[in-house]
Amino acid sequence: MHKALKTSEPYRIMTSNPALTSGASAPSIPSSAKRKGRLTPWFFAAPGLTLLLLFLVLPFLLALVLSFTDQRLVTNEEIGTHFVGLRNYIRLFDDDSFWAALRNNFFFVVIVTPIQSALALLLALLVNQKLAGARIFRTIYFMPVATTMAVVAVVWSLLYAPDQGVINRLVGVLSFGMVGPQDWLRNPTLVMPAVMLLSIWQGVGFQMLVFLAGLQSIPLDLYEAAKLDGATARQQFLYVTLPMLKNTTIFVLITTTIYAFQLFTQVQIIANSGTPAPVDSFRTMVMLMVQEGFSNGKIGYASAISVVFFLIVLAISLVQRLLLKEERAV
Amino acid sequence: MSAVPFQPSLGRSKMIARVLQYALHIALVLFFLFPLVFMFVSAFKGDELQLLKDMGSMMAFVPHGDVSGKNFASVFSSSSFRQAFFNSTFTVSITVILGILVNSMLAYALARFRFRGRTLILTAIIALIIIPFEAIAVPLLMLVNELPWFSGTRGWLDSYQVQIIPFVAHAFSIYLFYQFFIALPKDLEEAAMMDGASRLRIYWSIVMPLSKPVIATVAVLQFLSRWGDLLWPVMVVRGDNYATLPLAMQTFFGQYPRHWGEVMAFAAMATLPTLSLFIVFQRWFVRSAISSGVKG
Amino acid sequence: MHVNKNWFVKVVGFVGLGVASGAALAETPVSMWVHSGPGPEREVYAAAVKSFNDSQKDIKLELVALPEGSYSDQINAAALARKLPCILDFDGPNVYNYAWTKKIIPLDDFAELKPIKADLLPSLLRQGTFNKKLYSVGQYDSGLAIWGNKKLLTKAGIRIPAKVSEAWTFAEFEDALKKLKAAGVAYPLDMKFNYGFGEWFTYGFSPIVQSFGGDLINRNGFKTAQGAINGPEAVRAMTTLQNWTKNGYVNASTHDDGDFVKGTAALSYVGHWTYSDYKKALGNDLVLIPMPKFGKKAVTGAGSWNFGITADCKDPRAAAKVIGHLMSSAQILQLTDVNGAIPGTMTALKASKNYAAGGPLAIYAEQATEHVSLVRPETPAYPAITSAFAEAVKNIVAGSDVKKELDKAAKKIDQNIEDNNGYPVK
Repeated sequence: MHKALKTSEPYRIMTSNPALTSGASAPSIPSSAKRKGRLTPWFFAAPGLTLLLLFLVLPFLLALVLSFTDQRLVTNEEIGTHFVGLRNYIRLFDDDSFWAALRNNFFFVVIVTPIQSALALLLALLVNQKLAGARIFRTIYFMPVATTMAVVAVVWSLLYAPDQGVINRLVGVLSFGMVGPQDWLRNPTLVMPAVMLLSIWQGVGFQMLVFLAGLQSIPLDLYEAAKLDGATARQQFLYVTLPMLKNTTIFVLITTTIYAFQLFTQVQIIANSGTPAPVDSFRTMVMLMVQEGFSNGKIGYASAISVVFFLIVLAISLVQRLLLKEERAV
Repeated sequence: MSAVPFQPSLGRSKMIARVLQYALHIALVLFFLFPLVFMFVSAFKGDELQLLKDMGSMMAFVPHGDVSGKNFASVFSSSSFRQAFFNSTFTVSITVILGILVNSMLAYALARFRFRGRTLILTAIIALIIIPFEAIAVPLLMLVNELPWFSGTRGWLDSYQVQIIPFVAHAFSIYLFYQFFIALPKDLEEAAMMDGASRLRIYWSIVMPLSKPVIATVAVLQFLSRWGDLLWPVMVVRGDNYATLPLAMQTFFGQYPRHWGEVMAFAAMATLPTLSLFIVFQRWFVRSAISSGVKG
Repeated sequence: MHVNKNWFVKVVGFVGLGVASGAALAETPVSMWVHSGPGPEREVYAAAVKSFNDSQKDIKLELVALPEGSYSDQINAAALARKLPCILDFDGPNVYNYAWTKKIIPLDDFAELKPIKADLLPSLLRQGTFNKKLYSVGQYDSGLAIWGNKKLLTKAGIRIPAKVSEAWTFAEFEDALKKLKAAGVAYPLDMKFNYGFGEWFTYGFSPIVQSFGGDLINRNGFKTAQGAINGPEAVRAMTTLQNWTKNGYVNASTHDDGDFVKGTAALSYVGHWTYSDYKKALGNDLVLIPMPKFGKKAVTGAGSWNFGITADCKDPRAAAKVIGHLMSSAQILQLTDVNGAIPGTMTALKASKNYAAGGPLAIYAEQATEHVSLVRPETPAYPAITSAFAEAVKNIVAGSDVKKELDKAAKKIDQNIEDNNGYPVK
């Protein structure tokens, strides 16, 4: 992590040093080839730039524009497409389903981000111990990450089966019979927690590796010094490990948050699982966007959802930049 | 495993800590493995009623009764698993390969040339990293529907290219390549340039061979995000011909009457290749996870 | 692995033309999409395609069966991609929207279809007509009533109505549910919630709303749903449905299609398509019970899947020939004999054994002739209406507030009408 962060240093130096940006830094190009040389960078850059412009920048701008129109999926010549001003946004903020989706996303973020991050840290600390089998444990904890989310959601939707389901049985045993069988995917208050559990199960292994990398980049002499000062294991953890993991932690928290806002596959599969809970109890922003834009053909409206979604992600990213300001140049 | 952050020094408490750690590990292993074991075991249960009955007991994790490959056979005969598997492998591998080329070339231009607009492009690319695909999916759908293709047709829906080309250029991958190239010593390249080697040759025979770690990282990250994607296939693919595994999984799952044994067999077969790939190339995955630590 | 078949067929076709120079080797390919629903239609369609392809050499009919759950999404996507098949099988009430968005073309001018139009059941003629033109023809009309398990009903001491005039009243119906529950039937009424979210919710449950005196939309001009879908009658109807699930009369979370055949339900509220399965399982214990009078009068659903020719079709005349073949009495009866639906032409209906007076399915025909059946709203806004209503039903049976859900549905429908400028027709 720290090593990786440091690699961004040369960039700061280069862009801020006029001597480097003026072209004087490339004396190695023979002057005869100068003319040809001026086109060479564009030869390398053109494919990537073209694709970025066409498939990222253009659709992004389109989303902004379309969000102010009544664009339909299949244009109808009878009525055409018109600018409708802020109508999509006004309707969006008046739409219970939108607020429900937003609420579901936030609920997911508030619960999953801390739990998943803490669990990831715990796992990283555990597999970082000198313990026979630590590698095998690490592999096992990472295995769900290598499992496709659509598959995970399908398997869990059977595990969550009502009455005699595996999860019900487990909950029953773990609670010593206090908690009876639940209908996880149909109960509006349980469906989001059910989605959260399977999401954490699938995703935590990745953050574990990120934390592990952070742990392994902490210089050992810091611990030696702490030990010499008579620090206990707990003190070492609180005063060496945690502060040194600050950036890793911020990174994990932010990416988990953004990931949580992108939540789609799990809830889409559950929506297709038969007769799930009322859709507003688990539909997320992205799923609402797909349904409005694709199934209902309301491209303008769906674009407005996209824009709001982007603004949320942007805000989170800005928070991250702010938190990492001291370390990062870009 | 070099760092050992806090290790109790007393023998007795060390023993207790050990035991506790193993206990914790065992609980965690059970938590992380039970869904996978359940999936694989259920896939082999030919008797649907047995499978459902077993769910209330430990037998859910024990292959017994009618243990057979029957479910697998019917997945092959009644679903488009084979086609979907091919489609996933094909689209994802082409995307990854083209992505490595296109993104590294752009990063190379930014890292090794001083040209007008370089700073602007670099800043723009870093800004683009934060645009999530979800935010552009809807307008992108409208866009790809109007694009021409070499066959003379208009519109890319229901095709391979629609699942490949929009994902080739990837801002974050460009950024990773850029960072790597910047940190790469220039001596070899300069020597080659003195010898009159072309930039393309330098890029191909010197820079790229030195960039294996970052190539692996980018490949793994792209692979993971593309392989599991359901959002885009849901929007641009209809029917079986171009459906990838996640979409085929959803379709198969949504078919009635639902036969859970077959659903689990489908799930198991969709999982096994990525799972084994991961176990074989574990080191690369770990490294990608680490490098993704710079994302932001 | 995958070879683009259309492309392949075209190339082979052209090469064939070139090589044989005019010899009749090239067949016109006609693609057709059908839904594969819960019924036994799929095999019958496959047989119909084979018989058509064997009967002549000019047209090659290619059948694609797609799951019903995402069928209308598939059609929208194909329309977007300009890749609609030549012949489209679609659920009846969508015809107005498809015609309005010009996905399908009028059928009036095809010579092959003129005699069929004249012979079509009045309900199907009405269903297929938009803006005074005929856009679709169906092989059958649907029948919706209640299947009963005679043994269980008799044991619980419940009167079994044998014709429309004897239909249960609301009180009688609820009393029957109560008695069956008391007699130990786990969930007396099976309402096919296992079909999941989709047209079933509207087709199956809107008649209850209409029987109570409500409707999905104000049918006078089709301009607003306010006061209809969320009026007091509709709220009462949906509250009743919700109570059935709350009281354990209906299992809204069933994943099992077999509740009725296994006897965990004694009544099955479902359409004609279960007939052959039920008959096989219950034999002489199977009775067909007319729709109860929940409110002032009994109401049942009408309309069903039918065929149209799309605007993307390269050879509509060939498509019309195919439809002509499918609408022959022999083809219609082959299908309706197994799926139990009402034969779609007068000729076929007269020839049907199931629908003869005293036949096992005569109740359906009686409901149709005695004006118990009601077509779904004939407006291009129908897709918006059905998705809004189905979502409301789904949420209501899962326990949401009835009035709030129906208000939301009304708002969605009205916004959709506003979005499309009231669906103007030239």
